[in-house]
Amino acid sequence: MTGSLQHLGYDEEKLQRASQQLPCREVQAGMLLSLMGQPQQYCYPSVFIYGHGASGKSHVLNVLMKELELPHATVSCVECVSVSLLFEQVLLSFFGCDAASSLPRTPSLSDFVRVYRQQSSQSPAKQTRYIIMEKAELLRDAEANLLPALLRLQELVEDNVTVILLSEIVWDQFRPNTGCFEPLLLHFPDYSKGELQQILSHDAHPSYSAEFYSSYINILLGVFYSVCRDLRELRHLAALNFSKFCEPVTTGKVKETETHKLWKNIEPHLKKAMQTVYLREVSSLQWEQMQQMEETETGAMRGLSAHTHVELPYYSKFLLIAAYLASYNPARTDKRFFLKHHGKIRKTNFLKKNEKTSNHLLGPKPFSLDRMLAIFYSVVDSRVAPTASIFSQISSLVTLQLLAQVSHDDQLDGPKYKCAVSLDFIRAISKTVNFDIVRYLYDFLLQF
Amino acid sequence: PRNAMPSIPSRALPARQPANVLEEARTRLHVSSVPESLPCREQEFQDIYSFVESKIIDGTGGCMYISGVPGTGKTATVHEVMRCLQHAADMDEVPPFCFIEINGMKMTDPHQAYVQILQKLTGQKATADHAAALLEKRFSNPAPRKETRVRLVDGLDLLWTRKQNVMYNLFDWPTRRHARLVVLTIANTMDLPERIMINRVASRLGLTRMSFQPYGFKQLQQIITSRLNRLKAFEEDALQLVSRKVAALSGDARRCLDICRRATEICELSASDPSALGLVGMSHVMEALNEMFSSAYISAIKCASTQEQLFLRAVIAEFRRLGLEEATFQQVFVQHQALCRVEGLPPVSMSEGLSLCQRLGACRLLLLESSRLGILQRVRLNVSQDDVLFALKAD
Repeated sequence: MTGSLQHLGYDEEKLQRASQQLPCREVQAGMLLSLMGQPQQYCYPSVFIYGHGASGKSHVLNVLMKELELPHATVSCVECVSVSLLFEQVLLSFFGCDAASSLPRTPSLSDFVRVYRQQSSQSPAKQTRYIIMEKAELLRDAEANLLPALLRLQELVEDNVTVILLSEIVWDQFRPNTGCFEPLLLHFPDYSKGELQQILSHDAHPSYSAEFYSSYINILLGVFYSVCRDLRELRHLAALNFSKFCEPVTTGKVKETETHKLWKNIEPHLKKAMQTVYLREVSSLQWEQMQQMEETETGAMRGLSAHTHVELPYYSKFLLIAAYLASYNPARTDKRFFLKHHGKIRKTNFLKKNEKTSNHLLGPKPFSLDRMLAIFYSVVDSRVAPTASIFSQISSLVTLQLLAQVSHDDQLDGPKYKCAVSLDFIRAISKTVNFDIVRYLYDFLLQF
Repeated sequence: PRNAMPSIPSRALPARQPANVLEEARTRLHVSSVPESLPCREQEFQDIYSFVESKIIDGTGGCMYISGVPGTGKTATVHEVMRCLQHAADMDEVPPFCFIEINGMKMTDPHQAYVQILQKLTGQKATADHAAALLEKRFSNPAPRKETRVRLVDGLDLLWTRKQNVMYNLFDWPTRRHARLVVLTIANTMDLPERIMINRVASRLGLTRMSFQPYGFKQLQQIITSRLNRLKAFEEDALQLVSRKVAALSGDARRCLDICRRATEICELSASDPSALGLVGMSHVMEALNEMFSSAYISAIKCASTQEQLFLRAVIAEFRRLGLEEATFQQVFVQHQALCRVEGLPPVSMSEGLSLCQRLGACRLLLLESSRLGILQRVRLNVSQDDVLFALKAD
């Protein structure tokens, strides 16, 4: 496996060291090396590398640059909120502080090219310089001329420089409408299960044997591989749950080789972890604390999404219920639901055949303030005066984002709202005021 | 480089003397070698001359609006008028005057007009606001030297601002009693005052308007012959063809001269023996005309790659199917793959298809939306379907 990186012009020892740090990425690293050529040779002007998250794009480049000691500038496009930061970073890492400070305050692209040429004429490149742009998809939101200029920077500055763009998005969605210099496309494929196993087994615990750890990884992948192939996530989970896995061994109940018993012990624990830690319902710190405190059953703690209960004033609850009913019920059924003496409405007419699709699938519909207030007065048993406090409660529900105002055209005259809470939430709310909301929902009428 | 001024590089060697008849013809037909007197514009010349002369002699001010499509000799005629008047002033036939020219196209901002006028009048430099105030003062008070100023404003439409204060001032100053200012304005469209000027600006512009008609074919022919000045370089029929073609399309004299110059080049290249150059004939002129007037789209389609031509065909097929002039890339791509199979070519992948589509979009044969929409971006043709079919059928 090691030693597969071979290239003229680079130190054998350095290549060796680099390839040890790049497990399962020999092909891509070799391809990159052959693209880069020997240090003094000109490389392709721009290389576009794409692949999913945590497929080792930045890592491979970082290791190659560091180990082979190539002049490079690594720029994250997330950090560079303005182009001036980008230019500054590039100049700083190639030519030092003086060059970066010689840029004007709001540099344009031509300023950057001018300063770059000036500096590179003073210190010509002995080796190819590399500009590595991470999260390059944000370049599309920058000025329209930035991406095309970066793609042919070699031509513009007449220097041995190569721009490497890293992205999770394919090149087809980058191409500017006016055309540009086409970069060389390089794909980093996802790690397979075997490769993940191999990489994850690298960080074994020193006090246990390597086989023990790799059997642990095997169990972990058996549970998580179907939902998650992200190396970073898996690594995090492996680190979190390892202490639980070792527990029977440390207490002396089970020997290291008894894999089946270990599996029996850890498997329900991992399944619980998928529902809690993986969804970030429970933070990693809480998870570790829970593992230490034996008595509390893991998962018994309420996660983040269980905290949906919000304390609201009495009438606000009814207002929210009214809003929910107005949002999810068709307006023509209001008479049947909320009027006491609604006369006879034939059942066939009321339950229209063509309304098969549930309103809960289609999402909330906008309703007017009048309709909501009418429903509100019908569901509240006591007499409520339409005071300022009622109306201010409506607007505070909007600011709490429990209601959403749809057309922003007029604040006062006939505003329209949508209800933005889930069914579980509204059920919890209506339970606190002893209101059976399900009886009033059109979608659930057929079931009773 | 903070104060660097852009400039045209200076000529190291003196310009070469024309070696043969065709080169001689080329220098004479160059747009920059404006002749002493402009043929076919005698009437307009006379009108402008008498207008400006009467104003100068009376010592009053006034405005004149000159319009006409590009290449009808507006600027050249006005310059000729000014040259003649200057000559007359030197001969003491008319009172002395000074001539100021500003061009809207040479300004970064309409308010720069004040600065330029002030600089040309007095040599002073000032900010736009200050210059406006100074000019205002200057034109409202009686000037020490009674001298009429003639001002030429070229490219008037670019001096338009939202409040139109620049235009208003330009036309308001001549109406002042002490101003003694004659303003000649040049623009491309005849109805500019009605279209973009508010009433108080348009009324100050007055009704002295002149429109330069496009040249007819006889006039164009006369212009070329007067330029060539009995130099025997063209066949009579060739000249007639050029002037008829140009007159039918635009009546632009500059375009006409360009074509003639190109024809001399073609003639020179086609001649096998450089010493025995023939006259510029019909074939050369035809070739030059084709170069100038033929659509580049059709030749672009003809030279496109097989897959690109296939993609265009798929676009048209999809338009026919939908009955619309617009389709998403996805729909076109399905057609494209079907066409590939019919033609016996290996079907292209989605990203190859996208790059084909975006390449055609980059050379404006297609109109596309932003590429980040991916396969949902809508595709429209930028050329007519008939043109595409013609270009694809030709081979």
